[in-house]
Amino acid sequence: MLTLSLMDKNNNRLFIHKDMEPVTLEHSVEIILTPQFYTFIREDLDVKFTYQAKQIAASLFDDYIDSSINYQYHVNKCNEQWCFFAYNIEEIDQFLESIGIEKHRVSKIYFAQQLNDELEEPIYLSEKNILQTIDGIVTLIPTRLMEANSDYKPLNLSEIKLNSGITMGASLDSFISLKETIILGSLFFILGTIFITEGNRIKSSIYSENQKLNELLDKNPKYTSSLLRKSILEKYSPIDKKERKKRQSIKEISKFLSTKSQLQSLTIEKNMIVATIQTSDSTISKQVMTHAKAKKFRSTSNGLDIKVEKKL
Amino acid sequence: MNIMTLQRYKNEIILLLTILFALFAFIYKLSANSYVQENQTMIQKQVAEINTISNLKGQWGGKNMTNRVKTLKTLVTASKVKSFNKKAKKLIATYRNLTANDLNKVTNKLINMPVQIVTLNINKNGKNQYSMELTCKW
Repeated sequence: MLTLSLMDKNNNRLFIHKDMEPVTLEHSVEIILTPQFYTFIREDLDVKFTYQAKQIAASLFDDYIDSSINYQYHVNKCNEQWCFFAYNIEEIDQFLESIGIEKHRVSKIYFAQQLNDELEEPIYLSEKNILQTIDGIVTLIPTRLMEANSDYKPLNLSEIKLNSGITMGASLDSFISLKETIILGSLFFILGTIFITEGNRIKSSIYSENQKLNELLDKNPKYTSSLLRKSILEKYSPIDKKERKKRQSIKEISKFLSTKSQLQSLTIEKNMIVATIQTSDSTISKQVMTHAKAKKFRSTSNGLDIKVEKKL
Repeated sequence: MNIMTLQRYKNEIILLLTILFALFAFIYKLSANSYVQENQTMIQKQVAEINTISNLKGQWGGKNMTNRVKTLKTLVTASKVKSFNKKAKKLIATYRNLTANDLNKVTNKLINMPVQIVTLNINKNGKNQYSMELTCKW
């Protein structure tokens, strides 16, 4: 098969042109598109980066390609100029399928223009065409225009260093542009990082309290048991509550006393505190009773004697 | 899914991965929040319980009380202490002919001492004269 003769020794690079015959592949290949599958423009542009050049690629091809067809663009720096390629990946895909090359077999796509130095001498592509660089542009020339006895040198593709290839997948359009991916991806990444930082901060907020608890438990290992803690609390809490109330009540009663209101008796028994206060006149009696009421004592009077009591 | 498909949808895949990252990070933050809420309450409760127990035990545990209650006997002149019986962890004391000043001293000392007042009887017997009966334990 003639077409296969244009494959390199390891059969991993292949020129793609419209006259080629079907091929059978058992491994992946790098394909080199002939000018039948791309439009090429070389320009002097005052841009620094490839992505900037790529942004204006579509406008450069306005007059050369059919705007109703969805083209992809590839840009690379060639010497001091920018090389622009417009291609239709769907057309390439359909053609490859028609000659028996499955998409997943194509590892890289290159353009014949990238071999412009190697193609200074014409190479035989098919019965109809040869490939040659004319004025720096790789061009497909009909064989009938060549001299009948022309000698074509074979080209070993495996020895040629090719850069800036593209992939089938990358050439097909994504639903989301690279710019949107970068912006949205960065936003989600920053958001995620904030959530993780916040989560860690929240978790570490109980670290000091946990440490305090551990220190307390180290000092009192027996308090580790919640049952024991409950039992101790049940024993001492009522005592504390009752005894504080007794003392508070004694202090309150002492505040009712003066030279005109003297203590006659005070009793603490079981759950009651009872005091009898002798007053000098009814005004003082009323004052004592008012104060007692304010302190939640129940008070009764018997003449000038006031009895105040409170349940403990 | 072959390499080509991955390459074609690499933007979508990158975006999906960052969304998943943000989502998992958000779930992590929520779980950290609920972990802290659950544990903080529990830890604070435990710390408060242990502190309360230590305070209560220190106060009402009766450590050295046998010696400390002796001061109730020496606050007033010996003749005014009718009886002062200290047995095990219990004190029964009777005072007589206490002046208002004496009564204040004994009562103040008593209420500032961490003992359980079982009974307390104070009676006025005459002008500026009081008797006092006290039972306390620790």
